[in-house]
Amino acid sequence: MKFVSVLMVLLFISMPLALSAATDEGKGERAVIVANPGADLWRQVRQRDMAIAGTSQIKGVDSSILINPQADRWTSFRVGMLVEYGQIVLVAIAALILLFYSIRGKIKIEGGLSGKMVFRFSDYERVVHWVLAIVFIFLAVTGLILLFGRTLMIPVLGHEVFSVLASSSKEGHNLFGPIFLVSLLLMLFSFVRRNIYARGDLTWLLKGGGMIGKSHVSGGFFNMGEKTWYWIVILIGLVISASGLILVSPNFGQGRIVMELSHVVHASTAIILIAVSFGHIYLATAGTEGTKEGMKTGYVDIKWAEAHHDRWAKRCHENGQVISAEDYARLQGKMGPASATSSSAAVEEVSS
Amino acid sequence: MEFIDGPLWYFSLTVFSIGVIWRLVPLIFGKRTTDLSVARGSAASGAVKTVLSRFIPHKGMASQVSMQIIAGYMFHLGLFALLFFAAPHVRFLDEHFLGFSWTPMPHWAFIVASQLAFLGLLMLWLHRISNMVTRLISTTGDHVGSILTFVVMLTGCLALLESFDELRLLHRFSVELFLIYFPFSRLMHTFTFIPSRAFTGAWFGRRGVNS
Repeated sequence: MKFVSVLMVLLFISMPLALSAATDEGKGERAVIVANPGADLWRQVRQRDMAIAGTSQIKGVDSSILINPQADRWTSFRVGMLVEYGQIVLVAIAALILLFYSIRGKIKIEGGLSGKMVFRFSDYERVVHWVLAIVFIFLAVTGLILLFGRTLMIPVLGHEVFSVLASSSKEGHNLFGPIFLVSLLLMLFSFVRRNIYARGDLTWLLKGGGMIGKSHVSGGFFNMGEKTWYWIVILIGLVISASGLILVSPNFGQGRIVMELSHVVHASTAIILIAVSFGHIYLATAGTEGTKEGMKTGYVDIKWAEAHHDRWAKRCHENGQVISAEDYARLQGKMGPASATSSSAAVEEVSS
Repeated sequence: MEFIDGPLWYFSLTVFSIGVIWRLVPLIFGKRTTDLSVARGSAASGAVKTVLSRFIPHKGMASQVSMQIIAGYMFHLGLFALLFFAAPHVRFLDEHFLGFSWTPMPHWAFIVASQLAFLGLLMLWLHRISNMVTRLISTTGDHVGSILTFVVMLTGCLALLESFDELRLLHRFSVELFLIYFPFSRLMHTFTFIPSRAFTGAWFGRRGVNS
């Protein structure tokens, strides 16, 4: 009985308080606001447009930097402009290529392919090309997941799945980055001699490589467009590699600003290279007839060579390097043993 | 998840172990025809010589196969280092099989070893499909073996942070497929290359052939 009495008294006392709380609901403005005593100090600090350096017992790069205002600019660029413009560039280039293909279609060889072939790329050169291509595509995919994943993939996949994907992409990207550099150097040394600009290249450029108009454009072993693609890959690839190495090795004394700048350079140049690679992939596959054979089997049709690389094709004719369709089929293992009349060029190629 | 960590793991280990023994026993202990010829040299020294000499390419061939040799060493040494000296593998072998461990590679060495292995394997496989001779003599099994090895290495490296169980399971699942496929494929050369070289070397050695 005594316990119930006490309970009644407590209930009676608490009723006004409960009523007061109920009437205060939804009036957050009336909540007690306690000013952060350090707010003014931090506001003053933030107004300065430079890194605020102090002293610290912790020895390390940037360990005495109190606030780095540059980081805010980098963050807003990273999540804003870079993502937005990066997507626009990639989508625009892909759309342009599709538009061009829908208008121009596949560029066919006039009179069709002959079946007579000429040797163009060695096994080693094709291996180097494909190593670089595979590693580049892997890095591009993982890099784009890391760059655009937050905005494009999280809404679709959810946070949990994306976190697994992002973690594995980051590990894979960091691991394959140096392999890209090595394959890039192999590409540089393997192809550099034939990619030095020469007389006649400018004419090729002015005629749009034959895309503009119907007139024939003269070209050597590599034409102006291929040479330019090669130097874009080498030069931008080296910039991407250097900035990537700075990012992947943060323990070599580079500060945050260097890291931020490296990231900006790395991402921006990578987007450019990916965008240009769309054009290369298009021209090598759906864009032109007979091109992909060169990197697939090492041989190209002589008609293709005459259409795109006439000066080189002429040298091949002069040196007797053109082989018949039968010899080519034998080389590819699609026919029986070679006859006694097989072309010497084919035999030479097998032995090399 | 429990299936990958449990029944499938034990099944793949069983298939691997029995399969490898099943392939090796007839090779090593199988009946051979007695060589009645008069011995002109030592079979044992011929075997040892051939096992070792085949690690180096023949002088006449060296320039033509330099890429395959370099890529081959990169891949095999890298894979060996990853398999036996990667910290997660050393820990795994200690906890589940051996009961003892050894000093694992530092992280940077792991990265270098995996990069060498990846680059080497890529070059070897691309050479296999690029060169007209190797392309013709390669079977589907060769490509499956190469791709499985690549996938095992890749899933292992993607799970390097050890932060997500899903990635560890993906790696283990790929290893299980690899183990099941291993005894029935040319991946068996891991175990047969030494007996094979020794047998050939002994045969040549007994006949006094300098090979």
